[in-house]
Amino acid sequence: MQQEPWTTGESSAPVRQETVREDAPPVIELRNVDKHFGELHVLKNINLSVKRGEVVVIVGPSGSGKSTLCRTINRLETIDSGDIFIEGRHMPEEGKELSALRSEIGMVFQSFNLFAHKTILDNVTIGPVEVLGRKKKEARAEAMELLKRVGVDSQAGKVPAQLSGGQQQRVAIARSLAMHPKAMLFDEPTSALDPEMINEVLDVMTELARQGMTMVIVTHEMNFARRVADRIIFMADGNIVEENTPEEFFMNPRSDRLKDFLESLNRK
Amino acid sequence: MSEKKPEIPASFENARTKTAGKAAAAPKPLSIRDALYEPPGPKTRKRTAIATGISLSALAVLILLVIRQFYITGQLAPKYWTFFARKTTWKFLGKGLLGTLEAAALAGVLAFVMGFLMMLGRISRRRILRAVGTGIVEFTRGVPTLLFIYFFFLVVPRSGIKLAAIWKIATPVAISAAGVVAEVLRSGVNAVPKGQTEAALSLGMQHGKIFRKIVFPQAFRYITPALIAELVIVVKDTTFSYVVNFPDLMQNAKVLISNYDALVQIYFVTAVVYILINYLLNRISVTVADRTGTTL
Repeated sequence: MQQEPWTTGESSAPVRQETVREDAPPVIELRNVDKHFGELHVLKNINLSVKRGEVVVIVGPSGSGKSTLCRTINRLETIDSGDIFIEGRHMPEEGKELSALRSEIGMVFQSFNLFAHKTILDNVTIGPVEVLGRKKKEARAEAMELLKRVGVDSQAGKVPAQLSGGQQQRVAIARSLAMHPKAMLFDEPTSALDPEMINEVLDVMTELARQGMTMVIVTHEMNFARRVADRIIFMADGNIVEENTPEEFFMNPRSDRLKDFLESLNRK
Repeated sequence: MSEKKPEIPASFENARTKTAGKAAAAPKPLSIRDALYEPPGPKTRKRTAIATGISLSALAVLILLVIRQFYITGQLAPKYWTFFARKTTWKFLGKGLLGTLEAAALAGVLAFVMGFLMMLGRISRRRILRAVGTGIVEFTRGVPTLLFIYFFFLVVPRSGIKLAAIWKIATPVAISAAGVVAEVLRSGVNAVPKGQTEAALSLGMQHGKIFRKIVFPQAFRYITPALIAELVIVVKDTTFSYVVNFPDLMQNAKVLISNYDALVQIYFVTAVVYILINYLLNRISVTVADRTGTTL
């Protein structure tokens, strides 16, 4: 079995090392994506390209469409028009091929969404066993390795309801990693957590970023964004209003919308 | 630039030690009463005590009146009760009880299978299947059980289909219950949070598998108590067995009545047996509900 970089546990490099591959085709590409919720135009002609190893953080006021955009990438949200490509392959609207492409993109939700009736260990093995057809024993061994990596291996036999929010979210990350995804989507992964549990999840994500995982993260944690992002995208009213490197994004905002947004954060 | 560099934890071990042993212990399930109503204050408790006293005395008086009436009309005379000392009486009632349990179990299984299929139609993503499912559900819920029984007793045999007596009672009772079972199952499926399906989709699982592995197992836990409650109705519906001459508890009780001419006494004992069966089922349903409350 091929050893993935994030399973080796080495952790000496800075967060934003040169992991971005400029030459490879983009892992995720959205072209002219449009979506309405009834009258509401939630995504307006969105174009987004995420390179291999790149960490893209999406921020913006609530209702700006950032969560919808994140969920659109693996088509958990339907779109009205536009195209989605995973490593250059077109993502169809339904069928086996869609499922296959989804299995290559990990997803972490705001509300964890661990399978409530399964143990922690089974939550992590169900993907590899049921989707990838891996042997149960093999999958279990790797799942324990991943659970250890995120620090919840001692809880393997419990059910999700017996774990704290922070622990559940780390299990959710392990569950995604078990699929050896090409990229991971994080839809407000810490928004449902008690303050003291936010960091334990952000630490795991920071580690992933450093090990070269391609990530798209929707978050309100600005310090975290500044630290791990290669690029920050600001969304408002269904548009990508501005995108830039973290330094430029926070130090030299160009649009009034972003200036207002950053100011409102400072007032808090 | 340098102040933006974070302190990076040596490894995820940090995260682990921070919350080790901090896992929320499974909370004791709150009873519905605790959850919905505030606890009674001293005045309410006093009023409750008085009301309880009054209603208990009223009940006692009522029971005494009934016994008195029975005494006056001679229903308490030994000749109406002594046959209960005979082994054959209980053997015969026991056979009837077995018949009731057999018919109820068969009807229960049939109702579940039919209800499950109807539910699949109801939740189908195809409009035609949904319409058919809804139509069948409404039909089976709307028609009285006895009508189905007459259909299986009078109409079906005429078309040349010979059914054993147990099928003549179990099938119509099951059809009558299937619509309710379908709706209960559907409510359970709808109660499973959407996030469960989304998480499974994001892992690359397909709809059929998601339903089998993720959604239905959870839905089934939610609705087990409601399903058992429906089983109580099935048990009671099997008392229509006399229509098709299937020897269930009720039918055998009738035979005993005509033998011993002791209507009140035999129906009294029969009622107690039915109450015991259904009480037992309700206990099971409560136990199951309590248990799933902690694991989900």
